[in-house]
Amino acid sequence: MAYETKFYQFTEHPDSDSCWSLSTGPDGRIYASACAEGVPGGVVKLVRYDEEHDRLQYLLDLDEMVDDPRDSGRATQCKIHYSFAPSMHDGVLYMATHLSGPPIDRPAYSPWNSWHDPERCFRGSALLAFDTRKDQVLWWDTLIPKEGCRCIALDEERGMIYAVSYPRDHFIIYDIEKRRRRDFGRIGSINSQAIFTDDRHRVWTSSDYGHLVRYDPEKDSMEMSPYMLPHDLLYQNGFHSVFYDAVRQPGTDCIWAVTWIANPRLVRIRLNEGEWGRVEDLGSTTQGRDLTLPMNTFRDHCGGVAFAGDGQLYYVASRWKDPQYNPMGDDHEEMEGVVTRVNPKTLKREEVTVLRRPGHCAQYVSRGAVDHNGDLFFGHVGPRPVGIFKVEMPPDRKRKDAHLPIRTWG
Amino acid sequence: MQKRKRWDLKSPETKALVDEIVHGTFVKEGTMVAFPACFPGATAQIPADESHITALDVSADGLIYGGTSGRKVHLFVAMFHGVTGLVFDLGWLEGSRRCEAVCCAKNGFVAAVNGPTGGRLIAGKYQPLPFDLIQEWGFSRSPLDDLGEAVKGEDIVHAVADGSGTKIIGTTRSHLFACDLEGKAVKAVAKTRAAGQIVLGPSGHVYGADGKTSLWRYDPRSERLERRWVALPAGRWGDGSPKWAKEAKSGTLYAVDSQGRIFSFDEAKFSKELGHTQVAPVGAMAATFDGRLFGACGSGISRLFCFDPRGGSVRDLGVAVSVIERRRYGYQFGAAAVGRDGEIVLGEDDDLGHVWLYFPKIVPR
Repeated sequence: MAYETKFYQFTEHPDSDSCWSLSTGPDGRIYASACAEGVPGGVVKLVRYDEEHDRLQYLLDLDEMVDDPRDSGRATQCKIHYSFAPSMHDGVLYMATHLSGPPIDRPAYSPWNSWHDPERCFRGSALLAFDTRKDQVLWWDTLIPKEGCRCIALDEERGMIYAVSYPRDHFIIYDIEKRRRRDFGRIGSINSQAIFTDDRHRVWTSSDYGHLVRYDPEKDSMEMSPYMLPHDLLYQNGFHSVFYDAVRQPGTDCIWAVTWIANPRLVRIRLNEGEWGRVEDLGSTTQGRDLTLPMNTFRDHCGGVAFAGDGQLYYVASRWKDPQYNPMGDDHEEMEGVVTRVNPKTLKREEVTVLRRPGHCAQYVSRGAVDHNGDLFFGHVGPRPVGIFKVEMPPDRKRKDAHLPIRTWG
Repeated sequence: MQKRKRWDLKSPETKALVDEIVHGTFVKEGTMVAFPACFPGATAQIPADESHITALDVSADGLIYGGTSGRKVHLFVAMFHGVTGLVFDLGWLEGSRRCEAVCCAKNGFVAAVNGPTGGRLIAGKYQPLPFDLIQEWGFSRSPLDDLGEAVKGEDIVHAVADGSGTKIIGTTRSHLFACDLEGKAVKAVAKTRAAGQIVLGPSGHVYGADGKTSLWRYDPRSERLERRWVALPAGRWGDGSPKWAKEAKSGTLYAVDSQGRIFSFDEAKFSKELGHTQVAPVGAMAATFDGRLFGACGSGISRLFCFDPRGGSVRDLGVAVSVIERRRYGYQFGAAAVGRDGEIVLGEDDDLGHVWLYFPKIVPR
């Protein structure tokens, strides 16, 4: 029987068109970013799922918190992309803002075009520390001047935040105690959509052509693997096979990831095997299609990778009607987000439910997380106002504190 | 402060302005190609943090020689004509950090390289053309020849080959030096206060900033140095300027100050300001065969510019981007030269730096 799903719309943020960040906070509750990148002067609001009243709570407007008003004429603080990072010892949820929303009196924004324009250029990604115990902002700082932040990872033990900038794709190191940033240089042209740490405090991400990129604090150097992440050899060459989402399998050194390219691959990486880990290609997460047509990034997609309390991997992959490759009947939407369960031992995949959003397709999911009650949540990108999905886990597959050990990257 | 009104996305001006903002950003005319620092498919790239390309020169047979900066200096040759298409790493220099110049001389190239003990001149042999880089090939590395320190303990600022190709003339922060390539002897010529690049003029004289207000002139043949030869025009000199470019056919020299003001120099005097780049500083520039001057300006994300002496105007060409060979944005350029057929060769001064080719728009007759 399919898992129950419910959609929670960002009704108090009608401009919201994307929920790029969704994470479990250090308090075990679900936090999401209600982003507005498609409207002039759009801003991001921090939202939390209120389990007691089964509703959303709107906690703060980021532009107000970081003193960068939406009507400044600059590109706005419109998003938190993959940039939540919970800190367990002090109950802080770190978040970093991102760009792309136009200034209030302009119809569009290009960070390349406005780089030298003091009136229009984005002020910079703001890193904000939110105390989830007191529901208050402790401090904020500029993480990356003039640029947005695509994704962050926290090394809680060492008090370091690692980030990837946009558009220049620089690797940024931030020392929380010293509030000091260091720009470590450029990776490439296409942001990896995920960055994560390992138990040796190394930081992993990927480059334009799908090479693993790793920063080692002991060597203070950034290295690039000679290998490419898996891609379809029929028609792809590794270009754009960057990480889209990545999660650690609890109790192991395994990272499970999906790539950000058509027919996203499911990949398992055993980080501690060999110089560059053992990378396993577990195949495409989406359906076949006409390979002569460049695929729409928002149609052929996989995200929301999370381990739940049953020890199984979950992700949401899109599927869509295609007369040749997937002739689905009238009981299906044009495009759908399929919640898939993967057994990490047998690699067996099982469809457990389809996300239903009244009146709209829900094929695009950004991030997923499990809360302290053991239920799954997914961030959605679609027509405004957008929102999040809750997927009720069956009683025999959920457990308390299923979010632990917590994911410390966005 | 005037309150800004929210843009109405349904207004009729929206599409045109969106097009201008989004599509008017990148290379607006001509075509760019980013070529990785390797033989694609056959060799590994120069490591990302050792591949900031900061020096380029072109040999008489049209091959491009260059040097990188970063954790290590690599010297390379690039070739794109005929059945070639590679960047070949000719060798690297342990302990070195920055390559300030590569000079194509009569019998080989010479690189001016800085390391922990100061600047040294490193000579290398010219690379013969390979047989066919589609079919089969063989390469070997010749040892590089360390010609020694330029001036003890001092970093090199810039260097050029003289007109005969038998001498290298260069500057450190406080000296002008010369190197006789046949005798392999480097000597300090005089004390100077160097700033920016130096340039070889069509008469065979070498020019460099004499402080911030004038140029010295040096004749490598007679070894005569003339101080304060000509006054620099009103501008802001120092901070890496002047930067120079030479148009080979007419011999016109172009100088740019640290604010992006462009002047020409006929070896006796400077022109009035010809124009200025939209942002500064200028990272690299080169003048092609028809007299147009192309370059990159601005920090962080540079923009390309073109000065056309016929119209006398400086135009913004947008941000560098390549969609051929590699899909890549170009943000910082540290060197420029003119290729065999007049294309502009740009060295990307960034992690994982590529050799960029810019094929300017052909202006209809």
